[in-house]
Amino acid sequence: MANGAQTTAGAEITVRGLEKKFGQLKAVDDLSLDIPSGEFLALLGPSGSGKSTVLMMLAGFEVPTAGAITIDGRDCTRLTPQKRNIGMVFQHYSLFPHLSVIDNVAFPLKMRGASRADRRRRAAEALEVVRLEGYGDRMPSQLSGGQRQRVALARAIVYQPRLLLMDEPLSALDKNLREEMQLEIKRLHSELGVTVVFVTHDQGEALTMADRVAILRGGRIQQISAARELYERPANLFSAGFIGEMNMIPAQWDGSGLMLAQGDRLAPPEAALIGAVPSGVATLAIRPERLRVSAPDAPGALAATLEEVVYAGAGTLLIARLADGTEIRARVPSAGLPRLAEGERIGLTFDPDALLVYGEAAA
Amino acid sequence: MSMAGFLQPDGRNLSKAGILLLMAPFFLLIGFAFLYPLLSLLSISVTEPQTGLQNYERILDTPVYGKVLLRTLWIALLVSILSLFLAFPVAMAMVSSSGAMAVFITACILLPFWSSVLVRTAAWAVLLQRNGIVNDLLQAIGIIDAPVRLLYTQGAVVVAMTHVLMPFMVLPIYGALRNIPPDYGRAAAICGAGPLRSFFEVTLPLAMPGVLGGFILVFLTALGYFITPALLGSPQEMMIATLISQQLREFLDWPFAAALVGVLTLFVTAITLLFSRVFRFDRMLGGQV
Repeated sequence: MANGAQTTAGAEITVRGLEKKFGQLKAVDDLSLDIPSGEFLALLGPSGSGKSTVLMMLAGFEVPTAGAITIDGRDCTRLTPQKRNIGMVFQHYSLFPHLSVIDNVAFPLKMRGASRADRRRRAAEALEVVRLEGYGDRMPSQLSGGQRQRVALARAIVYQPRLLLMDEPLSALDKNLREEMQLEIKRLHSELGVTVVFVTHDQGEALTMADRVAILRGGRIQQISAARELYERPANLFSAGFIGEMNMIPAQWDGSGLMLAQGDRLAPPEAALIGAVPSGVATLAIRPERLRVSAPDAPGALAATLEEVVYAGAGTLLIARLADGTEIRARVPSAGLPRLAEGERIGLTFDPDALLVYGEAAA
Repeated sequence: MSMAGFLQPDGRNLSKAGILLLMAPFFLLIGFAFLYPLLSLLSISVTEPQTGLQNYERILDTPVYGKVLLRTLWIALLVSILSLFLAFPVAMAMVSSSGAMAVFITACILLPFWSSVLVRTAAWAVLLQRNGIVNDLLQAIGIIDAPVRLLYTQGAVVVAMTHVLMPFMVLPIYGALRNIPPDYGRAAAICGAGPLRSFFEVTLPLAMPGVLGGFILVFLTALGYFITPALLGSPQEMMIATLISQQLREFLDWPFAAALVGVLTLFVTAITLLFSRVFRFDRMLGGQV
């Protein structure tokens, strides 16, 4: 642990029936959420899903039209931001351009009436935590994007807040820097023990960084679970389609087996059913990397017509079509792949535990 | 930072010579209508009636002229400060409003430009006269018993000049405030700053370029202002522009009037240099937030 870091117990947050209307539009709709102390939670969703509005209400920049937010048992629903003792990192860093790096970092301490010497010492420590010791006298305009982001982080953690909010903090950085900062923020999180709520539209970022990911759509939580479960057992078709790639094949469920339009009948294991699947229209979902290529008439294989072969080094993407016109994608290792020609008939096989079955209501 | 610069229709950067050519009419006009008359006035001031500095000595030797100069500086300062305090809230309101409200405020700021300064000054004369609306009002609420002299006073000059010059303060401050991203206010708030601290620690320092720009604009304009002091001011409390005009038109004393112009020019130049030295003019005119 870096010498400046002090572990604080993270805040515990309860959100109940949260709602925010802008005119007629409900940006956040009856949203409830429990964030245990020290958790790293990502709010993930497309633009307009309400994820940023939730963060704005946690910070106090927006007042909910209904519902309540409690931080460590204290009702904060209507509390002004300056009284919440929250650290926040903004999308565009929002460092004060007229203040030097050290003065930026010391700003929250100054607002809390710390003495000058105390401010400088603690700000220098926070800069050390984000590995920017010695940069204190520079102006923000003299720093690179990644360095500015570190300064913004230092400013957010300098007074040891129990809750850290991050509003797409990495979206302005280029890819390499973004990956470096992801690890950096994770390291900080585990060192400081602070609760983190992180808004992003980048699913990779959410899966990499967060303990749990909440997927939002239309102001509602679609699913909230750990990264692995989210990816391997999406709770509904929206989550399934939103996280990673997913093949979705229309089918009929008859209570024990699945009929595909082209005539195959599959008998997925009990565990493949997501929620209650009533007889009738259903969807079979399967990740492209869980498919393998075989002969078209191999037992258990789905026959398809190959349309495109996209070679990408380690892996190859195969785009094929079922008889009913459904597109199906397979990502297979390039090594050992037979030479395949577009237009060829192939078979696609899978392990039974790769199957997911959604009823009509799970759309 | 790389700037696109002036673009030709084909999208290429204009050459240096091309830029100079485009600006030539402007420089010609400045030279012909500003530099040439100013320089010839200044030369009159040191060559007539004889070569020497006797015109300037006369300004220094006669206390009343020094007084006029000091009064002019004082009134210009007062007008600038008043404008600043009136303009800042207006600029803030402009930045924070949108839609119809923003259009309304902007119109209120710009509308006076559609009428001449003469009309606006005359309007103040109507308001401030002995049986004008201001006297009536003051009597009605019982502050005064009988009409007082408001017109032809320094107060009238300050009020009317502030009214006329305030837009020049609003616009640069508005420009500076508009360049401050709203996230700065949020960042200050989440760092624990209440509205007042947020204003003094973040908003005001970042608006300083606009404040100084507006201040210097209003101050320098007020220094040489003529119409309003001439129409609303007291003849016993002249400002320098009215004095110059009097010397020219009533006493036909061109050399002495020219010396007064020389002194005014000296002050304006000195103040501009001082400002640009202390506050970095280049930053003031945009660029860095």
